[in-house]
Amino acid sequence: MKYGQWFKQRLKNDGFPPDWVDSAISYSQLKKCINKLTAELASVGLDAATLSKLLKHVEEYNTSTAAQDADDGSRSFEYILADNHANDASSKKPRTPFHPKLLFHVNESTGEILGANLDDKTRKNLQMLAVETGLTELRVFEEPDTDSIASSDSASCTSNKKAGYRTVEVPLTSDSEFFSTLATELSGLEQLQDREEKRMHNEIEGLGRQVARMTDPDRKSNRRLLAVWREIFQVYIESDIFFGHTESDHAAHNADKATERFQKFCNTIATQGLVDKIKKPEGLRALNTFMHINREILQGLRFGEINHTAMLKILKKFDKQTALGVKSSFPQRLEYPEFSEHLAKATCAELNNQILSSIPQLEDYSCPMCMELKWRPVRLRCGHTFCIRCLIVMQTDKQHNCPLCREKTVVDACSDNLDLELADFLKKWFPDEVKAKQKYNELMAGVDQYGEVYKERCVVM
Amino acid sequence: MALPKRIIKETERLMAEPVPGISAVPHEDNLRYFDVHIHGPSQSPYEGGVFKLELFLPDDYPMTPPKIRFLTKIYHPNIDRLGRICLDVLKSNWSPALQIRTILLSIQALLGAPNPDDPLANDVAQRWKEDQNAAIETARQWTQEHAKP
Repeated sequence: MKYGQWFKQRLKNDGFPPDWVDSAISYSQLKKCINKLTAELASVGLDAATLSKLLKHVEEYNTSTAAQDADDGSRSFEYILADNHANDASSKKPRTPFHPKLLFHVNESTGEILGANLDDKTRKNLQMLAVETGLTELRVFEEPDTDSIASSDSASCTSNKKAGYRTVEVPLTSDSEFFSTLATELSGLEQLQDREEKRMHNEIEGLGRQVARMTDPDRKSNRRLLAVWREIFQVYIESDIFFGHTESDHAAHNADKATERFQKFCNTIATQGLVDKIKKPEGLRALNTFMHINREILQGLRFGEINHTAMLKILKKFDKQTALGVKSSFPQRLEYPEFSEHLAKATCAELNNQILSSIPQLEDYSCPMCMELKWRPVRLRCGHTFCIRCLIVMQTDKQHNCPLCREKTVVDACSDNLDLELADFLKKWFPDEVKAKQKYNELMAGVDQYGEVYKERCVVM
Repeated sequence: MALPKRIIKETERLMAEPVPGISAVPHEDNLRYFDVHIHGPSQSPYEGGVFKLELFLPDDYPMTPPKIRFLTKIYHPNIDRLGRICLDVLKSNWSPALQIRTILLSIQALLGAPNPDDPLANDVAQRWKEDQNAAIETARQWTQEHAKP
């Protein structure tokens, strides 16, 4: 299937909101522009083959003279996307209008093109063009005398002057149309992205407040729900939906991969019965919103991807049909808004800040030695915290250095090193884990005192 | 004795997110005993080889380091004929915050950066210092001979 058709179908069938579809790159319209441009160029004798020969020649010429002055104005032919002086104002106007044109430097008397080693056919075509310029609709662009403007204007136009030659300018109407359409559409996409980001921001903020309320550890009734939500978010984080975090996978994911990961996340929380454990309708609504936000990010990612491809494809087509080599120079002139990745990144960060972080995860508060909750937490002089049990074992074992920084701080840890503030926090957010660890610590303290038989005390009695 | 939670967690992560070029699989009948395979680092004489190791977690792990030994023959100044490894983090510089994962990475790195100034296999280290190119060539030959996957 042709890309144009495929693109159209995706826009129609993938369930994008109507205002998104309206902002999409109008692939078929741009294609028509290219056709018009090809006709325009052909009418002045410049078909793709001729132009590519010409451009290749200019390139070779430039490389061969690069050692001297790179831009000494002796180039015979130029394709200019936008006026040079536009660069000066670029800080103020990032989107300068496009006025693409072709410039030829031809000998005034013979009409022969400057310094060109072209084959006869091309030469003839160009001579015809140069001779005809006076008669046809093409504008002849006479450069002013070097003397008169050299002092007043140091801009690039003076350097184009070469004695005995004049410059012929071929304005390209359809070309202008092509690029202004594309530029407008890209701005439109950017605005759409800003709008979506703001909207998602509000949505996420609202959900964040809701989740925070439902899991507030100060309310006893929330206690069971807190564990459920924590588990859901833990599965979510481990699913690495939009970004990988392992040695072998550490980049942003594309839409297909992210969709697959998201599906896996949905399956996991369903099979683990986590959805059923949220019994309250309020909680289910919140979970639904959470899923919805994720689906929206996925859709944004997909929309950005197909638009990006559409742009690359249309530029490729443009080059193929006109041989003007625009694909490499255009993206520098006009940055493609990183629609997909940017929106996904921004929204994921938002999701982290507003929602996931409202429920502390066990992994962030586990002891690097036993990998369980650091209860009771002891902060060493070097600033690193571990659970008291592991440090007791280390001290008994005469291991004196901090496991993380190797500073000799374990040896002088005492009850003053207990981190009471962190202890309160852990008790509040991880009540079940604290209880389990407390029991274990007591058991192990007994074993320390009475030996292994302490574990079996119930059986013995 | 029941397996500590830490060992269960480490094993789970090694299985779910393996380190590139390294695999560690516990024995079914002894979950403290692992079969390890390390791929020789690229641009080292061990490139293209897959080295087999055994890894055992003692009862007081992580307070004491895991016991690790090469099973595949290897020509390396810090690994002796019995496969024993001379690596500071496996001995004096062990820390209970290190893991199977990090230790295996260190061993992989040791293959990429042999250290003949702190030798375990004296003859190899001697040769490494006297004629490094020849030593590297021997290491390459041994890899071809013994460490073919």
